[in-house]
Amino acid sequence: MTERPKFTVALIGNPNTGKSTLFTALAGVRQRVGNYPGVTVEKKLGGMHFEGRQFQLIDLPGTYSLAPRSPDEMVAVDVLLHRRDDTSRVDAVLSIVDASNLERNLYLVSQVLELGLPTVVALNMTDIARSRGLTIDLERLRQRLGIPIIEIQANRRIGIDELKRALASAAEAKPTERRSPFPDAFQAETAQLQTSWSANGKRAELPRYLAERLLLDTSGYLQDALANDEHNGVAFEEIKAARGRLSAAGLPVPAVEAQARYGWVAEVLSGVVTRPAKRPVSSSDRLDRFLTHKLWGTIVFAILMLIVFSSVFIFADPVMGLIDGWIGSLGEFVGNLVPEGPLQSLLVDGIIGGVGSVLIFLPQIVFLFFFLAVLEDCGYMARAAYLMDKLMVRVGLSGKSFIPLLSSFACAIPGVMATRVIENRRDRLTTILVAPLMSCSARLPVYAILIGAFIPATTVLGFLPLQGVTLFAMYVLGMVVAAIVALVLKRTLLRGPTPPFVMELPTYKWPSLRNVLQRIGERAWSFIYRAGTLIFAVSVLIWAAAYYPRNSVEVSETLAPRRDALAAELEKLPEDSPRHAELSEQLGDLENEIAAVYQRDSYLGRAGRWIEPAVRPLGWDWRIGCAAIASFPAREVVMGVLGVIYNLGGDLDVGEESDQDRLGTRMKAAVWDDTGEPVYNIPVALSIMVFFALCAQCAATLVVISRETNSWRWPIFTFVYMTTLAYLGALLTYQIGMRLPAFISG
Amino acid sequence: MSDVHELVPLNLLSAGQLALVEQVLGQPDVVHRLEELGLRGGAAVEMVQAGSPCIIRLSGNKLCLRADELVSVLVRRGTG
Repeated sequence: MTERPKFTVALIGNPNTGKSTLFTALAGVRQRVGNYPGVTVEKKLGGMHFEGRQFQLIDLPGTYSLAPRSPDEMVAVDVLLHRRDDTSRVDAVLSIVDASNLERNLYLVSQVLELGLPTVVALNMTDIARSRGLTIDLERLRQRLGIPIIEIQANRRIGIDELKRALASAAEAKPTERRSPFPDAFQAETAQLQTSWSANGKRAELPRYLAERLLLDTSGYLQDALANDEHNGVAFEEIKAARGRLSAAGLPVPAVEAQARYGWVAEVLSGVVTRPAKRPVSSSDRLDRFLTHKLWGTIVFAILMLIVFSSVFIFADPVMGLIDGWIGSLGEFVGNLVPEGPLQSLLVDGIIGGVGSVLIFLPQIVFLFFFLAVLEDCGYMARAAYLMDKLMVRVGLSGKSFIPLLSSFACAIPGVMATRVIENRRDRLTTILVAPLMSCSARLPVYAILIGAFIPATTVLGFLPLQGVTLFAMYVLGMVVAAIVALVLKRTLLRGPTPPFVMELPTYKWPSLRNVLQRIGERAWSFIYRAGTLIFAVSVLIWAAAYYPRNSVEVSETLAPRRDALAAELEKLPEDSPRHAELSEQLGDLENEIAAVYQRDSYLGRAGRWIEPAVRPLGWDWRIGCAAIASFPAREVVMGVLGVIYNLGGDLDVGEESDQDRLGTRMKAAVWDDTGEPVYNIPVALSIMVFFALCAQCAATLVVISRETNSWRWPIFTFVYMTTLAYLGALLTYQIGMRLPAFISG
Repeated sequence: MSDVHELVPLNLLSAGQLALVEQVLGQPDVVHRLEELGLRGGAAVEMVQAGSPCIIRLSGNKLCLRADELVSVLVRRGTG
C-alpha cells in the first residue's frame, strides 16, 4: 500500500449547532453508525478525502461541556484522550461553534484547547447571528484564539473545502501548547494530584485534563468511572483535601471552572462581538409566541400529533399490504419449489412467516421516523417537550418522554429507539420500560376480533357504542398502567434526584431533506438488522414447537386414510359437478382437522395443555393458553394460531372481515373438552384482551430494549413485570367479571 | 413599592420582563451544569413564557427550564 496513514479528526460541539449537518457535509453518505462497546452511546464514524489524504471522522455526542458526568460525555473525553482501544488516536479536533451564541460555545472550546490537540474552529450560523444584528470581528477573534477559524454554512455546503484544507494542515501540525484558563493555585493542585496518582506504581498515568476534572467533578461520576483498584480510596481523600485547600483560597470547586472559563471567554470576546441596542424580533420569536402558547400551542400540538399518527396508518397501510402480499407470494413460491414436508413448513411457516411478521412493521417505522425527523430537524420537538412537561412531571418523567411514548402506540420499537433524546439515564430507562405498555398496532386485530365476536353492539349512556368504549378502555388501560409503573419505578428501582429539566429551544429552521433521509435510513437499518437476527431464531423455535413431533396415532390411523380416500374419489369426479365442490369442501375441513390434531399433539399444544391449570383461573382452555404461548415472540401470530386450533387453516387473514367473522363464529361455538360448556363469554374475552394489552409479547421489542440498554437485565425485567401484570390483570378481569350477573349470560 | 433591585426567584418574573441573574442556588453539580449552559451570576435573562416549566431568553437563545427543589435561580429585575 502506498497510501499515507489516515488522519483521525474528532468533531465536537454544542447541541443544535448544525453538527450532524456538518458531519454529513464532510463525510457524505460514507457513515457508519454503531454503539461504543459497553455503553449505550451512539458511535458515528465517517470517511473523508482531501487532496489524496484519507480522513476518518468521529462524530462525538453533542455536549455543552467536556465534563464526564454521563456515559456520553465520558466517551467524548475518552476518545479525545485516546483512552479507548476502539477508536484511533485523534490527530485534530474540529470544534463547531454557533456564531449567534459565541459565549456559551467558547466555554466548550476552552476545554478542548486544554487537551493540547491541534484544533480548528468551524464558525456556523453566521446568518442567524447577522439576522439578530450581531457583528463579529473575525480577524480579531482569530488573533485572540490563535487557531484557524473557518466561517461555514453547513446547510448550504459553504466553506467546506476551506475547512477540509485547514483540517489537513492541522492534522499534520505538532500538538499545541496546552492552555489553561485556571488560576495558578488550581493548576498546582492539578499537577500535584497527577504526581500522587502515578506515584502509586499500579496506576496508569493520569492525564492532566482528567486530574482537573477529578478535582471539579462533585457529582462523583468520574471517581466511579476511574475507580478500579483499592488504592483509589487514598486518591479520593487527597482530592477532598485539595478541594478544601482551594475553597479556603477563594477558589470553590466546581464554581471555579465557570469563573475561570467565562473570564477567559470574556477576554477573548471583548471588542469582537457587537450587539444591537435593541434586539430585533425574529420570525422564530413570532412563531414561538403562538406555538408555545399554553392554549393555542397545545391545540396545535394535538392537531399535529393527530395528523402524524393517522398519516402513519394511512400511508403505511398500503405499503404494509404490499409487503404482506410479497411475503405471501414468496411463501407460495418457495412452497411450490420445495416438496411438502418439514423443510417446506420450516421455510414457509417458520422463516418467511416469522421474519415477515416483523418486516411488516418497517413501513410504520419509516413513516413515523420521517415525521419525527422533520419535526426534530425544524426545531419543533423541543417545543412539544416543553408543552408536555406539565403532564409528564406527574408520573415522575419529563416532557422529553412524551414523544417516545406516543410513538409506541404505533409500535414500541421506534418508541424505544426514540428515547435516545432523553439524556437522564433514569428517565430514559423508565420510558423504555413502560413504552411496551402502550397499545401498539399489533394488538388492534386481537381487540377487534374479540370485541366483534363477544361485546354486544349496544350503546352505553344512550349514545356511546359499547364496542368502541371497550376498545378505548383497552388503550386507556395501557396508559394508566404505564403511568403507575413509571411512578413506582421512579420511586424504587430508578430512584434518584430528578435533575432540573433544562432544554435549549433551538431557532426554527427549514428541515433538511438530507438529514431527514439519513435519520430514517439509520433507524430502518438498525431495525431490520437488530430485530431481524433474533426474530429469525425465535421464529424457527416456535415453528418447531408447533410442528413436531407430528406422530399422532389419530392422524395416521383414522384421519389420513379418510383424507386419502376422499382425495382419490375427488380425482375421479368432473370438476364442475356439485358433488366435486361438496367433496373438496369436506377435504378442506378434513385437512384443517388434521392440522388441528397435529397442533394439539405438538410440543406447543402439549405445553398449552400442561399450563391449562394455570390459565383456567383466567377462564381459558388449553387452546387459548397455547395461542398465548405461541404469541410471545410476536403477538400478531395469535390469530394464525387460533385459526389453526379452530380448524380454519393457519393462513387466515385477520385483515379480512369475513375471516374475522369466521374465526369469531368458531370461537363462539368452542366448548370445554370436559364439560361441554361454551368456552367464551364476555369475561373470558375481556380477560384475553387485558392479557394481550399488558403482556410483553414481542421479541423484537425486547431485543431492541436490550440493544438500547446494553444489557439483558432490562428486557428480562420488562418481560417479567409485564407478564406478571398481564396474568394478574386477566385473572382479576375474569374473576370479577364472573361475579357480575350482567356478564354471565352474555 | 417594590425596589428595582429586589432579589426575586426567576419564576416570579412575568413574560417580557428583563432581569440579571444574581445567584444560582442548589446542589453544586446541578448549578455547574446550568452555568455551562450560560445560566450564571451576571447573565441577562428575559422571561418569555412564565410558568413551570418556563421559557427564558439567555444571550439570544431560548431555554426551557423547570426549576424545582434542587435548584433555584435568584434574579434582580431590570436590565441593571
